[in-house]
Amino acid sequence: MEKILQVKDLELSFHTFAGEVKAIRGVSFDLKKGETLAIVGESGSGKSVTTKSIMRLLPESSSEFKNGQILFDNKDLTKLPERDMQKIRGKEISMIFQDPMTSLNPTMPIGKQVMEPILKHQKVSKAKAKEVTIELLKMVGIPNAEVRYKMYPHQFSGGQRQRIVIAIALACNPKVLIADEPTTALDVTIQAQILELMKDIQKKVDTSIIFITHDLGVVANVADRVAVMYGGRIVEVGTVDEIFYNPQHPYTWGLLSSMPSLDLEEERLYAIPGTPPDLLNPPVGDAFALRSEYALKIDLEQAPPMFQVSDTHYAATWLLHPNAPKVEPPASIIERMKTFPGSRYYETKGGNV
Amino acid sequence: MAEKLLEVKNLKQYFNAGKPSEVKAIDNISFDIYRGETFGLVGESGCGKSTTGRTIIRLYDATDGEVLYDGVSVHGNKSKAEVKSLNQKMQMIFQDPYASLNPRMKVLDIIAEGLDIHGLVKNAKERKQKVIELLETVGLNKEHAERYPHEFSGGQRQRIGIARALAVNPEFIIADEPISALDVSIQAQVVNLLRDLQKEKGLTYLFIAHDLSMVKYISDRIGVMYFGKLVEMATAEELYKNPMHPYTKSLLSAIPLPDPIYERSRVRTPYNPNDHKYGPDEKVEFREVTPDHFVLCSDKEFAQMKKEIK
Repeated sequence: MEKILQVKDLELSFHTFAGEVKAIRGVSFDLKKGETLAIVGESGSGKSVTTKSIMRLLPESSSEFKNGQILFDNKDLTKLPERDMQKIRGKEISMIFQDPMTSLNPTMPIGKQVMEPILKHQKVSKAKAKEVTIELLKMVGIPNAEVRYKMYPHQFSGGQRQRIVIAIALACNPKVLIADEPTTALDVTIQAQILELMKDIQKKVDTSIIFITHDLGVVANVADRVAVMYGGRIVEVGTVDEIFYNPQHPYTWGLLSSMPSLDLEEERLYAIPGTPPDLLNPPVGDAFALRSEYALKIDLEQAPPMFQVSDTHYAATWLLHPNAPKVEPPASIIERMKTFPGSRYYETKGGNV
Repeated sequence: MAEKLLEVKNLKQYFNAGKPSEVKAIDNISFDIYRGETFGLVGESGCGKSTTGRTIIRLYDATDGEVLYDGVSVHGNKSKAEVKSLNQKMQMIFQDPYASLNPRMKVLDIIAEGLDIHGLVKNAKERKQKVIELLETVGLNKEHAERYPHEFSGGQRQRIGIARALAVNPEFIIADEPISALDVSIQAQVVNLLRDLQKEKGLTYLFIAHDLSMVKYISDRIGVMYFGKLVEMATAEELYKNPMHPYTKSLLSAIPLPDPIYERSRVRTPYNPNDHKYGPDEKVEFREVTPDHFVLCSDKEFAQMKKEIK
């Protein structure tokens, strides 16, 4: 499939009074046409910073690209002048933000806000732009759009506001849509509606989506591929089935086991001990080693490279090195692996040994 | 089960009562919480679950109805001493660990505030000793006592909130979405801590949340709220296995699980309150369909549910 966006060895630092914070420490991934790539990880893992650097939304005074490239349309976005970036932002690549309560302008009717990118990026008359706006609002499920497009954000509920934010993001038929925790501030029922809407729209307009979240249930629902981030690096990447049914990195194990399952009776939840690493002084070696019971000696000395598990599945853990000792993942992970053909715990149904 | 610790009887909480802008935040709900159990309260935002918690602990005065704690009414005119003794028995953990700690107070003083008010310590040395003990109980250490809230992460702040609630040796803790603001890996740490404390100190919890999978994990019994009304109440196990009210069914069908194969086949059933088609004089009441499983339903629906069980 065609690669629409490529991030190569991206490194980015923030300059703060306390020193240099290495927020992204070598991130590489591709986004293919029409797919949804989910990036998961806890706060501070660098998932939001990665996408903000694609959009070049980080303050230029305090952030610095140290290394790497972001290739989009044969252009390296890290080196593009701001003037050219403005032509891409909102048109070719657009973004849905986390909090629909703060990402809309409270003093501007919503119709005007949806119309803004259309007037900015496309040579159309105001009347035509209004027509497109009303169509967009209808598409994202705002009832009575002809009347409501004159209303202000406070006259809408949280779910409706997020629909409006989605309409703004889709206004110019972007090739890439970045959704930064679009449902975290919403209720389960509203969340389900927004996810259904996004999937629907993706089918209609064939855009690629980068979906950032820390909710693994949402990932299982929307993603084609998943990248797990920890301490400013991608530690595991694969198709959604590979990540959920054949995870290899101890951090992915930890994430998956700390979610309670609805049908399993567990006495205690698995909790990843400790706290995320301090990226002012990033740890040498595998950043997760200090919180991992599976850490090997080498984890503290040298960062693991990406080991290939399958054509689509890579994980950065020394456990995959041919000389590494064989370890048992947590019980609930083995349960998951049993259902995945190709994993070492796979049980064929039928009883052959 | 054991004795009732808390009885909520026909509780009503109306805001702007009598005005056109009247909001029935809690509309006639009743439930009991038994000593030593965890009662979960779920529902979407705006359904009145937080208001219920806040009314129980007397942050709001109830419009009507009663809350009995250990047989004593929580609301109404009370002497200072009575209020104080209630405040010692009931404590609250708040949702947002960033907003619920005073940024200008040291952790030591935040946690000790309750100790001072209730006169539980005699001198500064004992006060500090007690705070350090509490910090250790929640998995922090004594160096943390001299710091300010901004020096802590979200999970650590929530632990400070828990330590503050525990300081006065309460029997009953209302936890209002204590984990919604935390990361997944930290959520598990806090939930495990709450469970350990319950075992150790025999605490009773009212756990308010909208994350249904966590609620199921921590609760013994669960009440589901919708628009100020309790629509269903049962043991955690029973509620997830046999949801009866259409709203509960819809809520359960909306939870995404970390299981891609299940997700591909999951169908969400939307809930429309008009589907009940209640007649004008039909009595919609909270009825016990099977032992300990209550559903808000009309006569007709009640008969229907009974039939479906057999």
